[in-house]
Amino acid sequence: MKAALKTAGIATLPLTRDKADTMLLLASAVLVLAPHAAHLPLWVSLLCGVTLLWRALITLRGRRMPPALVLLPIAAGAMIGVQFSYDTLIGKDAGVAMLVLLVAFKMLEMHARRDLYVVIFLCFFLVLTNFFYAQGIGTALMMVASILLLLATQLSFGFTGAVPPLRTRLGMAARTLAIAAPLAAVLFVVFPRIQGPLWGMPGGAGSGKSGLSDQMAPGQMSNLALSEEPAFRARFFGRAPDKAQLYWRGPVLDSFDGLTWSRGPDRVSGRNLHLAVGAPALEYEVTLEPSRARWVFALEMAGELPEVPGHQVRLSSQFELTSDAPLDARLRYRASSHTDYALQRDPALENAGRWLLLPYGFNPRALAEGRELRKLAAPAQRVETVLRRFREQPFSYTLEPPLLGRHTIDEFLYGAQAGFCEHYSGAFVFLMRAAGVPARVVTGYQGGDINPLDGFMTVRQSDAHAWAEVWLEGRGWTRVDPTAAVAPERVNRGLGASVPRPAPFGIDALRDMNPFGGEGNAWLARLRDAVNAANNGWNQWVLNYTPERQRGVVQSLQDKLLGWPFAVLLTFVVALLLIVRFFRRRKEIDPVDALYLALCKRLGQAGLARAADESPSAYATRIAADGEAPAGKLAPQARAAAHAFLQRYSSWRYAPPKPDPRLTATLKSLLSQVR
Amino acid sequence: MAQGFRGWVRRSTGAWLPRAGTFDAGEIEIKSRRVFILPTRAGLGFAALLLVLLIGSVNYSLGLGFGLTFLALSCALVDMVATYRNLAHLRLQQGRVAAVFAGQEAQFELLLTNRTRLARYAVRADFSDVAEPRHVTDIAPGAQAIMTLSLPTSARGWLSPARVKLFTRFPLGLFQAWSYWRPAARALVYPRPEDGAPPLPLAGGAGNNPRPDGNDDFAGVRSYQPGDSPRQMAWRQIARLDPEIGGQLVTKHFEGTGGDQLLLDFDAVPAQLDVELRLARMTRWVLEAEARALPYAFRLGALRYDAASGAAHQAACLRALALHGTGEAP
Repeated sequence: MKAALKTAGIATLPLTRDKADTMLLLASAVLVLAPHAAHLPLWVSLLCGVTLLWRALITLRGRRMPPALVLLPIAAGAMIGVQFSYDTLIGKDAGVAMLVLLVAFKMLEMHARRDLYVVIFLCFFLVLTNFFYAQGIGTALMMVASILLLLATQLSFGFTGAVPPLRTRLGMAARTLAIAAPLAAVLFVVFPRIQGPLWGMPGGAGSGKSGLSDQMAPGQMSNLALSEEPAFRARFFGRAPDKAQLYWRGPVLDSFDGLTWSRGPDRVSGRNLHLAVGAPALEYEVTLEPSRARWVFALEMAGELPEVPGHQVRLSSQFELTSDAPLDARLRYRASSHTDYALQRDPALENAGRWLLLPYGFNPRALAEGRELRKLAAPAQRVETVLRRFREQPFSYTLEPPLLGRHTIDEFLYGAQAGFCEHYSGAFVFLMRAAGVPARVVTGYQGGDINPLDGFMTVRQSDAHAWAEVWLEGRGWTRVDPTAAVAPERVNRGLGASVPRPAPFGIDALRDMNPFGGEGNAWLARLRDAVNAANNGWNQWVLNYTPERQRGVVQSLQDKLLGWPFAVLLTFVVALLLIVRFFRRRKEIDPVDALYLALCKRLGQAGLARAADESPSAYATRIAADGEAPAGKLAPQARAAAHAFLQRYSSWRYAPPKPDPRLTATLKSLLSQVR
Repeated sequence: MAQGFRGWVRRSTGAWLPRAGTFDAGEIEIKSRRVFILPTRAGLGFAALLLVLLIGSVNYSLGLGFGLTFLALSCALVDMVATYRNLAHLRLQQGRVAAVFAGQEAQFELLLTNRTRLARYAVRADFSDVAEPRHVTDIAPGAQAIMTLSLPTSARGWLSPARVKLFTRFPLGLFQAWSYWRPAARALVYPRPEDGAPPLPLAGGAGNNPRPDGNDDFAGVRSYQPGDSPRQMAWRQIARLDPEIGGQLVTKHFEGTGGDQLLLDFDAVPAQLDVELRLARMTRWVLEAEARALPYAFRLGALRYDAASGAAHQAACLRALALHGTGEAP
């Protein structure tokens, strides 16, 4: 391989300066374009790669650039390709693809220095467009690397003489970045933020992630994906409540067609809701991950509407919190909830029939069992009976239940007896309605892990849960979690504890090594906490640094910085810097030389500047000759002093070293005589 | 009070803006207030880029986009300081200025001394009236660089250059820092030697027959011709010039008539000719006499130099010709 390169004359010959600079530019373009490959159509990535490779070959072989006649058809073809792939030329994704292609083609059309700046600036912009798709810590590191290489490239083109080695240039770029970073951090914190968007609705800058579904069809899905993706994070301003209290309310499903639970029509929007609360409210802050949904999650029950920046929050008739627009950006809002509450504790439930409806011709056995329950006088007893049935009969909790047929609830209750929350809540609500108790399915999230490092509670997609609500006279809508009856640990410890996990690769010994397998491995758990804390800190401070958050930070900074200890410290530091600077300047030059320079300056002011090639003794001679001119530029006494000074200086500088402790003082006194 | 304020204004403005008529004598340091800085066209483009980045970040709520925007902005600010530092605290000093003939380029040496610990790259300099600066240099820490700035000449006499503009765009090219320096240097421009001038006014005409007996006066040298005796070769002149760099063999040349020494007299040049042409002819004769190593006396108006030859004599004569009628003492 090496020999081949040698014969090709590529690797062994040092590149000329222009070529080396161009290769550096190509390298930075590759670094900037590479992350885009993740979302671009394959052909765009390939075309870019080929174009850049072509440019590299042109550079290495010293060929000419292709003429415009060759480039224009290719560029036009690429545009048609973008139109074909995206069905548009404008818009976010198509625009990014066009930009990527533009940078690649511009490489083949670089003639002047201006083109270099165009390419580098376009690269900066492409670094930004990559954030449409990813904004993690890794992306940030990639960004820093890209800027570093871009700066080094721009720097390399600035040299006119000898060019230092690449490592030195990278060092210079790194130093620039290192000095710039604190400044950038300050700007990041204090630069006034405006809440976007400035125009229109950016075409889904969030992501394609759909949050919680607002439909539920138990038995239609045989495997529930265990996504560890966070749904949102919460930080409690007091003590976090027990896990058993952590029901984050989402969509309420009250309409059942025999197979699927869905949201019924929402005719009454939260007007006749009565919420009575006890106990002091829990105050907390939720940071919602972007999704396409509109659900604003809060603990049951939210005492007041949370204020979500940029969105209008509404309350539905079933006490669901929804936003007026998809929450496709990471959002932070404060909420307050009461775990001790009573919803609709009215003498009679208005419009109760809505929560008693059952589809005709489905699940006859369950219907009959429900009717049987009506013999019990108190509705609360009917609830208790069903829960006891779940507890005592061999029901099991599994995330991989068997598929069910037409009568899903019958098959579940009397056949499989295995399922997850959707099966239990669905069956429970069905039985309750059959027994004449108004009931509905509530979905949302249950639980959440508190990260000991930063105190944030993370609620993951795998914490998604479904439970039930029944209306009882004198108590109002009451939460009942039938899943808890079967698998209490699901509620108390989380999903990971309640389901036997599959062993990796089917090897049992590996089960404990699974880092997400629970409490098995302490340091892995700690590592996971640390990664989560870092990610969360990143989200809180970088990605979701909103105008509201900025106001708070600036306020607290003002409180801290305007105090006198900081003022004293600042004064001290400034004074220290000034002193250090003063001494450093002094130390730069020998004191005797400094006196000599002072003399030269003074004589220069008098019109007898030293020529660059004049030695002190020649200068002394010229000064002396000044006296012979009709009008000397110096007074005779000053001239004599200058002459004496120069002679002493000359002999000190050029004679063999002979210590003269009084030299400086003598020169000083002579200098003072030169006026 | 008003006087003091005016004085302060003059001091503070005069320090950074060299006015006409003031020169920078001796070694001067480019103090910070002498350095101007403005964004270049690339810098303005970068500002536009920053604006686009900021708008994009706001519109799409890209937290990391804000980070990129501010990091890029800070890098530009760091570049501004670096550009300024690349020029500030350099020390300037004028170097030698060689005399030239009109029509040649006058060469002004500019010494740039870097007494700081910071390496300076791509410092450009030229006279401020030159559109495209031609000179660029790097200066290592503690080192000195010499730039030779050339200026075309047309008329004889003293040539005072326009102020020198020093500037740099290093490192990123987003900003240009510049400073002015008005050196006290001036170049002496000799008259342009006349082309096709009449031969040297040798008294008594030119006899070319050397007398082997040696009675003739030595009358300079001429080109070697085949057949010249080695004894007549002008070895001293030959030794001065290496044949490889254009020197040639010359033969001693003897004037047979034993007349007067060569006298270059301005008044002897026909008076009906233009003064400049007469000066040009004199210049040519001085050069020719020097080339032939003939001692020559020189008269220009009241100025008289006795017969001599050599670089110093030639320089004195040419200087007198250059400054003739300018009112300045040669």
